[in-house]
Amino acid sequence: MVQYSYFPGCNLKTNAKGFEKSAVAVSKKLNAELVEIPNWNCCGTVHTMTSDNLMKRIAPVRVLSRSRKHIEELEDSPNEVATLCSMCNSTLKIVNKEVKVDEDKLSKINYQLEEDEETYAEDMEVKHFLEILRDSVGYKNIAKKVIKELKGIKVVPYYGCMLLHPEEAKIDDEEMPSVLEYLMESLGAEVIFSPLFKFCCGSYHIVDDETIVDSQVSKILQDVRVKGANAMVVACPLCAYNLDYQQKKLIKQTGEKNPIPIFYFSQLMAIAMGEPIEINHFEDHQIDPRKLLKELKLEG
Amino acid sequence: MSYEYIKFGKEEREFREKIEEISGENVFSCYQCGKCSAGCMFSDKMDRTVNQQIHRIQMGQKEKVLAANTHWICASCLTCSVRCPRDIDVAAIMEAIREYILREEPEKIIVSELPKEVLERLPNIALVGNFRKMTG
Ligand code: SF4
Ligand code: SF4
Repeated sequence: MVQYSYFPGCNLKTNAKGFEKSAVAVSKKLNAELVEIPNWNCCGTVHTMTSDNLMKRIAPVRVLSRSRKHIEELEDSPNEVATLCSMCNSTLKIVNKEVKVDEDKLSKINYQLEEDEETYAEDMEVKHFLEILRDSVGYKNIAKKVIKELKGIKVVPYYGCMLLHPEEAKIDDEEMPSVLEYLMESLGAEVIFSPLFKFCCGSYHIVDDETIVDSQVSKILQDVRVKGANAMVVACPLCAYNLDYQQKKLIKQTGEKNPIPIFYFSQLMAIAMGEPIEINHFEDHQIDPRKLLKELKLEG
Repeated sequence: MSYEYIKFGKEEREFREKIEEISGENVFSCYQCGKCSAGCMFSDKMDRTVNQQIHRIQMGQKEKVLAANTHWICASCLTCSVRCPRDIDVAAIMEAIREYILREEPEKIIVSELPKEVLERLPNIALVGNFRKMTG
């Protein structure tokens, strides 16, 4: 079994349990097991774009250093830390590239880490689980494990911002990505393109001004409905929250009759691969995906 | 455009230099094509567009730059940064304006005033992300 040192990040333990559990389950089936780093810390969520603040860069470098140590205990593990949350992925990737080219920054950060007997190792790379699925596992091998084709699911892949921006962190072409499309097709779902595939959901403005998020989410969902889709697939717990929670609120206000369930890509994989439905924690969703799955006879 | 619009006193120059220092970008690289604003998904909520803000930094209009809501509406999606034909990290300039303000007045939002229900319900990444953008 190939094992990956896996960094969950905070949200996969709280709002997005179904994302983690379904991903870990399918990772085992695909010989690319996600094994959690034992003593990880928060990466800081958003990468600082200031050039003069090292403090905010220490946490993500610490994650990379702990992951490197963890890899030594694993089986056939590449020097890669695997991520699921697209915000963590982006933060870790950017910092990793920064410290590789900026010796001065790295030595100052290492000075901090040495107090805890930790050091960053330059041979570390950061990989999103979607990259592992595409580049190491391969769509063909994923399709081989499908026991229940997702017939009837018409899904819009929604990438959001952090999987595609900035240049240092993107996992696919920033203007015409395809990884979610191919993945969904390999599960037997029908893929529907929406030009708003990276129209920002409003992100952290959910904290200070939810009207910003509401406006973004309504535009995104309107297009999904016009295109005739019945589901959306995402890779970010914040996109998922905004699209799901705020959608429920908007439906109450507008009386909209066509709710769109939001799936993490790994949840749809788990369903197609016949994993028990409970691991998806659909009870945490505001728009319950089980209704659609039942209609399509995919829930059992 | 009137020349009165351009201000090049010490204060204005220092402001521009500070923004350039924090962001690591040269604002004079911008040739005002407007692509950043055209692709910004929040332009309809901004009282001044992103390229207008950059133009005003070039022109030393410190007060007007700081008074706009542009940098607070910006959600750091980085679309502008990947599209700028002059390779300017436009989002980093928005961050630099926020930082410039927050280093003097560190509380754009007051965390202790957020209701407990909101703190418990919202995803951690929303809270941590927001606090990193809205507090100093
Ligand atoms: S896209 Fe770049 S060059 Fe064009 S207006 Fe914006 S910052 Fe200036
Ligand atoms: S980073 Fe900010 S300014 Fe740039 S496109 Fe996104 S929201 Fe607009």
